[in-house]
Amino acid sequence: MSELLREPREIMRDEMAMRRHLYAALEDGPKTVPEIAQAMGHPSHEVMYWLMASRRYGLVKESRQPNEDDYFTYALVEKE
Amino acid sequence: MDYDALVVGGGTAGMESALSLGDMGYSVLLVEKEASIGGTMILLSKVFPTLDCASCIATPKMAATFHHPKVKTLTSAEVTGIDKKPDGTFDVHINKKATFVDPDRCTGCSSCEDVCTVAISDQFNFDLIARRAVYIPYSQAVPKKAVIERAGTSPCTFACPVGIKAHGYVSLVRSGLYEEAMDLILEDTAIPGSLGRACYAPCEDDCTRCELESAVPLRLLKRFAADYYYEKYPEPKQGPPDQLRDEKVAVVGSGPAGLSAAYDLAKQGYRVTIFEADEEPGGMLRYAIPSYRLPNEVVDRDIKNVTALGVEIRTGERVRELAALEGYNAVFVACGAARDRTMGVEGEDLDGVFSSLDFLRRANGGDPPDFTGRKVLVVGGGNVAIDSARVARRLGAARVTIQYRRSREEMPAFDWEIEGAEAEGIEFEYLEVPVRFEGVDGRLARVESIDMQLGEPDESGRRRPIPIEGSEKMYDVEVSITAIGLVSYTADWRDGGGIFGDAKMSADPDTLQTALPRVFAGGDVVTGPSSITHAIGQGRRAAHYVDRYLRGVELSPQSFNGKLPAVAKDEVLTRQKAFRYMNGDRTAERLPQERIGDFEEVELPLTEEEARASAARCLDCGGCSECHQCLSACPAKAIDFSMRDEHLTVSAGSVVISTGFELFQPLKKPQYGYGRFPNVITAMQMDRLLSPTRPYNTVLRPSDGKIPENIAYVLCAGSRDCRVGNELCSRVCCMYTVKQAQLIMGALPLADVTIYYIDVRAFGKGFEEFYQQSAAMGVYFVKGKVAGVDEGPNGNLIVRYENIAGDGEVVEAEHDLVVLSVGMLPNQDALGLFTHEQLKHDSHHYVHEIDEDLSPARTSVDGVFAAGSTAAVMDIPDTILHSSAAAALAGAHVERVRT
Repeated sequence: MSELLREPREIMRDEMAMRRHLYAALEDGPKTVPEIAQAMGHPSHEVMYWLMASRRYGLVKESRQPNEDDYFTYALVEKE
Repeated sequence: MDYDALVVGGGTAGMESALSLGDMGYSVLLVEKEASIGGTMILLSKVFPTLDCASCIATPKMAATFHHPKVKTLTSAEVTGIDKKPDGTFDVHINKKATFVDPDRCTGCSSCEDVCTVAISDQFNFDLIARRAVYIPYSQAVPKKAVIERAGTSPCTFACPVGIKAHGYVSLVRSGLYEEAMDLILEDTAIPGSLGRACYAPCEDDCTRCELESAVPLRLLKRFAADYYYEKYPEPKQGPPDQLRDEKVAVVGSGPAGLSAAYDLAKQGYRVTIFEADEEPGGMLRYAIPSYRLPNEVVDRDIKNVTALGVEIRTGERVRELAALEGYNAVFVACGAARDRTMGVEGEDLDGVFSSLDFLRRANGGDPPDFTGRKVLVVGGGNVAIDSARVARRLGAARVTIQYRRSREEMPAFDWEIEGAEAEGIEFEYLEVPVRFEGVDGRLARVESIDMQLGEPDESGRRRPIPIEGSEKMYDVEVSITAIGLVSYTADWRDGGGIFGDAKMSADPDTLQTALPRVFAGGDVVTGPSSITHAIGQGRRAAHYVDRYLRGVELSPQSFNGKLPAVAKDEVLTRQKAFRYMNGDRTAERLPQERIGDFEEVELPLTEEEARASAARCLDCGGCSECHQCLSACPAKAIDFSMRDEHLTVSAGSVVISTGFELFQPLKKPQYGYGRFPNVITAMQMDRLLSPTRPYNTVLRPSDGKIPENIAYVLCAGSRDCRVGNELCSRVCCMYTVKQAQLIMGALPLADVTIYYIDVRAFGKGFEEFYQQSAAMGVYFVKGKVAGVDEGPNGNLIVRYENIAGDGEVVEAEHDLVVLSVGMLPNQDALGLFTHEQLKHDSHHYVHEIDEDLSPARTSVDGVFAAGSTAAVMDIPDTILHSSAAAALAGAHVERVRT
């Protein structure tokens, strides 16, 4: 039986510190969650927390359609 | 009676009860602990079996309840106790929690959420996504008002004598908002550059992270913010306030206390003049703290923050009579403790014997004595002794020894200072003290010392040193620096009546007002030698009370400290079951062989990477960090950190308990993999993913954001299961699972959905048809008892189940998302509310209905009625019916007690 995952509360707490790494990963174009995770060097399930929170607050947006592998790509929302 | 009925809990049952009672003409108080009424229903995607939109049904009911003329709704409030009175009515005790947002001003615009720097798990999305410490529960919230989650003051912030919001600037640095971090620090102190270097950091002692590895380096983070800011702004960006007041305030002394008082008063528009006896301002900051710890350039830049506000600093003006300050409406005396205590031994006046403060003043003031090749003996065990020794080392001394009359354990100097000195080759002689300085031609040549032993503890709590007769010894020494303590000296003041003693001033310890009403005094001149941090705190306290004095407001002692109580560290540490180890160690100092050759700073600043990583270790103890970004962003000026909980007591004729249910926590069934595999979620989480207000852009795997193709449901997860203490069927799981299966087939037409079940209970109106319909749509129903879930290498999950419909063989099936249809448990919050009678529960710990068949909702306490799932898990239509019954009975009880 494998170890418990890091607790969501702890991963979420990292969000503010991780934002710049997340945005750096998206600077050269939209990416899927696994691609962002690879660029950031963090597990993709942790990236999901940070990415979706950024999406929630209007900093990141998803593509209209998923790619052929059933992944959406995510891009930075351009500031006005 | 204040209200005919109290309704506890604002979910579906509570709203229905309140509406029914209100429509019957009864006055109702509805108390909801969350920031919105609506309960669980508003969070659902659809309802079964009709697949009507849950929000479309719930939202009008929420609005109708909140705006009902007979219903008063208190959100963010908890009933803490209910007293049954002899006349059949009730006294209700309520804690109305402070939300720190004025609901009358808040427009629900969410600007505060956009700038908040603290991410907290969103309880309305069941750990799928973060919200902010300031938040609006969800888009359909009623009332749609922001609230700030504050568990108390974070221990670091609470510990700061200055009142600096340490948690706040940490969260800002963590977010990369360095200038904002400094702006926040500048709210509370003018001298962050100095504090970032020379504060003793009580905040770090109280950091909860100490319980895990080591403290967040709060002092260094402050220095990081200050250094960043001062490089960007060599001159202060703030100027005098727009509105100046007529009153003038004189401050005597430009040390940390005087500067701080002047800063706070000037920000409020007072015309402040500081009188400083020395040629340069700064007091101990400039003259007592060596520049390898605190460079004078930093002190200068800090002081600019004060003068930029219009404060005049008149240096070289030694004030020693209040008559000279007649033209000022108020005076704050903060002339410090600027004298060395003398040893009173023979030869102390020899050439070559220095008092520590004189020595440090010369060294810092550009007139250092030449110690090249000299043997130096420093006497004392405090930080000043350590500073003196390390300065002597830098002035070329061949050998520097610190002689202290007690042992290392009793030394008042900070450990890191002692270790720093040791690293620089300073030697220590413990349990010795000089008894005579011997000179040749008027110049120090030898020191006679005596050995000491430790006796019983003295009034300081440290063991008293006792000379050992006959142990005298001689040391050849060319220089000695005595550093046995500092004292204030006020005997040279020429007026002021009794407020000036020989050594200290007398002032009220809370208000710092002296016997002369317009004269306040604080800092070391009142308290005796302390620290720059405490001195700043005294300065701020003085400013607070001087302002009240000048405005003619009562000087109530409790008005100064407005902090919430500190959050208990235990409470913080119990929020998580496990914490990731985050190493806080770093190489923080220049190498000793390099640093003893100059007066450049010993301590290395944090790099940006180190600062961000260090700040990320913060545990957000208080919830909200008080970073004050919301204060700036709120266009309605609705944020109000001065709010405090209100404790109310109201009377009510009857009580309806509608506190709902709790969800089973699937960590109690570890074989299902929840908490170990990201793609094992609960049905409540899936309902959120299917909801229009979902946390993701669609239904996605939490492991990697992939659209799932093959979803499994495990029924009876945590219900009908004696092993987890819940032998009851939760009644609704089968149907909400079928509902979700149908919704998934609509949202993800290509996905397969498999439901593993023991039996499917479709007992209500239209339920069987609903179940059959989903099977016809292509949902796979597998009669199988799931024994375990494991994760494959691609994040997919292997479900092992006993094939009940077949031969009982164990079968494995692969899915890419597993949903646990978790059961419901009783919410037992209400059981302990009643003080005079026990509200009884049944054998399953639901509120006991004493006559479930003929008089549902009636409880063991006359006049108290249970509505909805507080009595037993039920679906929404049954909850509505049950709540209406409770309301009717409550109304009847009100009629009885009225007569």
